[in-house]
Amino acid sequence: MTSVINIGVVVSFLFAMISLIIMIGRTRRFGNNPLYAREQGDIKKGIVYAFVKGMTPWEKESARNHLPTYIFGVVYHIGIFITLIFLFSIVLRISLPFFIIYILRYSSLIGFVCGMSLFFKRIFSSLLRGISDPDDYISNLLVDNFLLFGFLSTYSVGFIIPFGIISIILFLYIPLGKIRHCAFFFVERILFGMFYGRRGVYPTNR
Amino acid sequence: MSENTIVDPIKERIENISQEDIDKAIRIFKEKLDYKYATHLNSCVHCGLCADSCHYYLTHGDLKSTPAYKLNLIVKVFKKYFTFTGKNFSILNGAKKLDKEMIWEWVDSLYGRCSMCGRCSINCSIGMNIPYLIRVARGVLTAIGLTPPGLKSTVDTAIEKGNNMGIKKEDWVETVEWIEEEFQDEVGDENARFPMDKKGAKYFYTVNPREPMFFPLSITAVGKIFYAAKESWTFSSDHYDVTNYGLYDGADEGAGLMSDRLVQSMERLGCETLVLAECGHGYNSNRWEAPEWLKKEYNFNTISILELVADYIREGRIKLDPSKNKEPITIHDPCNLVRLGGIIETQRFILKHAAENVVEMTPNKQKNFCCGGGGAQLSMTRFSERRIKAGKVKADQIAQTGAKIVATPCHNCIDQLTELNKHYDLKVKINTICEIVANAIIL
Repeated sequence: MTSVINIGVVVSFLFAMISLIIMIGRTRRFGNNPLYAREQGDIKKGIVYAFVKGMTPWEKESARNHLPTYIFGVVYHIGIFITLIFLFSIVLRISLPFFIIYILRYSSLIGFVCGMSLFFKRIFSSLLRGISDPDDYISNLLVDNFLLFGFLSTYSVGFIIPFGIISIILFLYIPLGKIRHCAFFFVERILFGMFYGRRGVYPTNR
Repeated sequence: MSENTIVDPIKERIENISQEDIDKAIRIFKEKLDYKYATHLNSCVHCGLCADSCHYYLTHGDLKSTPAYKLNLIVKVFKKYFTFTGKNFSILNGAKKLDKEMIWEWVDSLYGRCSMCGRCSINCSIGMNIPYLIRVARGVLTAIGLTPPGLKSTVDTAIEKGNNMGIKKEDWVETVEWIEEEFQDEVGDENARFPMDKKGAKYFYTVNPREPMFFPLSITAVGKIFYAAKESWTFSSDHYDVTNYGLYDGADEGAGLMSDRLVQSMERLGCETLVLAECGHGYNSNRWEAPEWLKKEYNFNTISILELVADYIREGRIKLDPSKNKEPITIHDPCNLVRLGGIIETQRFILKHAAENVVEMTPNKQKNFCCGGGGAQLSMTRFSERRIKAGKVKADQIAQTGAKIVATPCHNCIDQLTELNKHYDLKVKINTICEIVANAIIL
């Protein structure tokens, strides 16, 4: 990857991260109403539930009833994180052993296939079309291309520059669209755990 | 057609909405948000997995009934007014102004297609608190005079007359005296008391005003339990209404005013513990929300009557004969008490001791389906047809258990289940938990 692209990736990534931090920080502008009702449950256990058991298909009906979508979603996100690692190994010029490249390659490919499946599901499902904005399609395609070029880059260095350019576009887009959930998701799950943990709903104590 | 006829006053009000009203709505919207709500409003990924967790979507099958669609109505407005991307790139994320068309959508969907049961939230991929966002939006509508008439009159009656049925103080006191006399005859004890305004009693017991009006046996049942446990308890002659429809119209001020009256009764009577009757939203309102509305920590305990009854059983203060309740009983979990309130195993513990044959619905507990009576749906007659249709999920659940009795600790649920019972010909009896316990009590 040329040094210009390298710098572009780093700068755009930092831009995305700083933007996400600012966006989460800006939610604080709306204030934080203190809670007065006496706690009944355990907030910490609620948060653990939110991130572990509360995400599993045997606990969450929506995941159980849509198991293929759930699995595709999980694999898609694993693929994204692994491809990100690959991207930064290129940027930082870290040479990876072949078996790692092998894992990266197929994670990106499988992630890409899952992402495209979700894209086509959104196109063909009237329900999903009905709740979708252009951002839903753009975000999905940007990430899918990131995965695709990540995959191709494991085969040929010729794809590394396009991979870098797509990564820059993706990072620059993150604050504009729903990919921001890569940060908001974690805050949301904490809030979920706090709400239900405090009330003794999850985990159950009464 | 009947729906259109009834909806007219709302449509008329929307037609007359001014820019000042809309500015006020946006101001109120912002005031009602805190960082938690702002986080929720930034987080939906439009995965649509919430759809079939909603009894409205399962029974109506239309896009407008999906939680994601309903939530998106609020998100669009939030983005338009409060986010950089919504203000500058609305073509990307669908941000929309709060205009007359959007206001109508809010009324129709957020009041008319949601019972605020929260089932979508526990099934949400992200975990957003959707019913609380719906409440925020309802509060915005209420602030600009767009509460559906049935709900508005319920709240107005409660605020003006002290209880949501408008029962006069003397009628309430006489009703309790009459119930007390009947009870004395039943147990053959002229000293059996249903105390009114007994200062220094340990427990102040609240009631749903529908009980003295339509379900006096519910009051008798609780009185019998207290009598058997030899408890120090009391009713209040002035403020006793456990319900709080301010939870549903989203107006914190009115909601706080109603709940504060129970606090006043507690202080006047000098009781130790506020005992909330079998009422789902009354429990959520007074146990969890009222301290937030009033912005103060209570200096007394607030518990459900179920918790107290369970304690009596554990401590051996009441003896129960489960053979008195032989017919198969199923439990309907009120959303506000269970999924949003945290009283989950208590009613099961009680029924295990009070009945021979308890059959669970599937799903149950936190994952139960709403009966359709929550969210003030019972008071908004314009949406009755949708409510009954949405209740089919619960009707099917009940039918599948083969139970002859449905026990539920909530009078709103009882009203809805009674309608479902007739409409879907379920042939079941519907009781409160305390009624079942009272039937099994050995005096």
